[in-house]
Amino acid sequence: MSDIGNWNEAAGELDAIVASFDEGEVSVDELFVKLERATQIIETLESRLDATKARVDELAPRLAKLTEAE
Amino acid sequence: MTGETVHEVGEFYQLLTTQLESAFGRRHPHWVRGEIAKVYEKSHMYVDLVDAGTTSSDTKRPVLNAHCWATQWAPLKRKLASEGVTLTPGVIVNFYGYVDVYAPQGKIGFTITQIDVQGLLGDVARRRQELIARLVSEGLMDANKRVSLTPVPLRVGLVASPGTEGYSDFTGQLTHSGYGFVIVLVKTAVQGEAAPPQIVSAIEALDAHGVDIICLVRGGGSKGDLAAFDDERVARSIAACATPVFTGIGHTGDESVADLVAHTRAITPTKLGEEIAALVDGWHRRHVRIPAQKVLDAANELLDEATEYVAERRRTMIFAVRDRLRSEQRHLGATRSQLLVHSRHLLSTTGQTLASTRQLLGAYNPSKRLAQGWSIVTKSDGAIVRSLNDVALGESVHVLVSDGSFDSTVSEKNGASS
Repeated sequence: MSDIGNWNEAAGELDAIVASFDEGEVSVDELFVKLERATQIIETLESRLDATKARVDELAPRLAKLTEAE
Repeated sequence: MTGETVHEVGEFYQLLTTQLESAFGRRHPHWVRGEIAKVYEKSHMYVDLVDAGTTSSDTKRPVLNAHCWATQWAPLKRKLASEGVTLTPGVIVNFYGYVDVYAPQGKIGFTITQIDVQGLLGDVARRRQELIARLVSEGLMDANKRVSLTPVPLRVGLVASPGTEGYSDFTGQLTHSGYGFVIVLVKTAVQGEAAPPQIVSAIEALDAHGVDIICLVRGGGSKGDLAAFDDERVARSIAACATPVFTGIGHTGDESVADLVAHTRAITPTKLGEEIAALVDGWHRRHVRIPAQKVLDAANELLDEATEYVAERRRTMIFAVRDRLRSEQRHLGATRSQLLVHSRHLLSTTGQTLASTRQLLGAYNPSKRLAQGWSIVTKSDGAIVRSLNDVALGESVHVLVSDGSFDSTVSEKNGASS
């Protein structure tokens, strides 16, 4: 999954796959390949999202404390 | 000297007293106006009064040694203090009293029984207005207001008297604000004649020390108690100060010259503490709390959007693939149905063709022809005789008819008549 770029790149590739389905450009031969790739991208994005959420959850209380009046 | 009366000193003073009482009347009161040249108080009050506008360098200027005995001075002093009036050199005052002679010191003096307080108040007010006018004309009224104020004034120079209510009210506000104020205190008197020079020294010391602001703090009191803050020396030291000077003097309604000259003025020490804490809190809110909240909100919003995006893409992919597969299944199903229909049609058509052909072929069936009376003649080698030329006279031939065959010999050949 290392060939999956940063978030924007990955989201762009995923959007392109979805668009090709929307436009009916995907042949049955390509379908599995594209589905597999889309699944890889989605899992990667979810994994990154989970990791980011965990880090934000760690930082959020510290930020929230700063928002409180002295 | 011959014949003239010679008086002893005491007798002379007695004579003098008698003459004065004869001229003025015994303890007959008079109003006397003058400028205070010197004043001294030790339970009794002693004052040297001169004509206004004269200077001490004038060795011939008249001086009236006036005094007010303690029994009368104590209530007069309280009244003056309540009105914010202090008898100081330079003040022009109307004294009511009588002439007396004090032989032990060889002085003709003046015993004060009343003081024209209203006149003094008018004089105090006039002097205050004159001071304000001078400060305005010299551009000093706004001098300290032009000093830039640091956005977060946490280092606070304090000119106050510890233990007073004003001091506690002010420092309490800073302490309870939750912010890390550092208070640099210079203790001073905040009332009385000693106060102005001490306040000036304190302002200068704190200005040199390097604090963010200097606060002059004094709780409520009579006008006299607050008179130090109308002092010209204090006003000029504030104007000359390179550090913003904040004041919290007296209570609501009091407005000293120091308040007018100061960078920022609060109506009480408590209010001053609140306003300084509010300055820091405002900065903290603008530069820490609000940005932190925005970052937090933006992070949550971004995560929500990203989560929704990925979930939506997952759903879309599942539906897209499912739709695509169903579409292919439908296409295959339709094709299969079409093939069946076509095949059946083809079979049906082919059957009909075969039947027709079979029927057609039936018409050419040799047995049917033989039954109709036709016969087939073949030579000995099996070749079918189609023409006269295929046989020779005398040649044996085989004749096939519907129910059998027989052999024959060609005896005669006749051509077909045209």
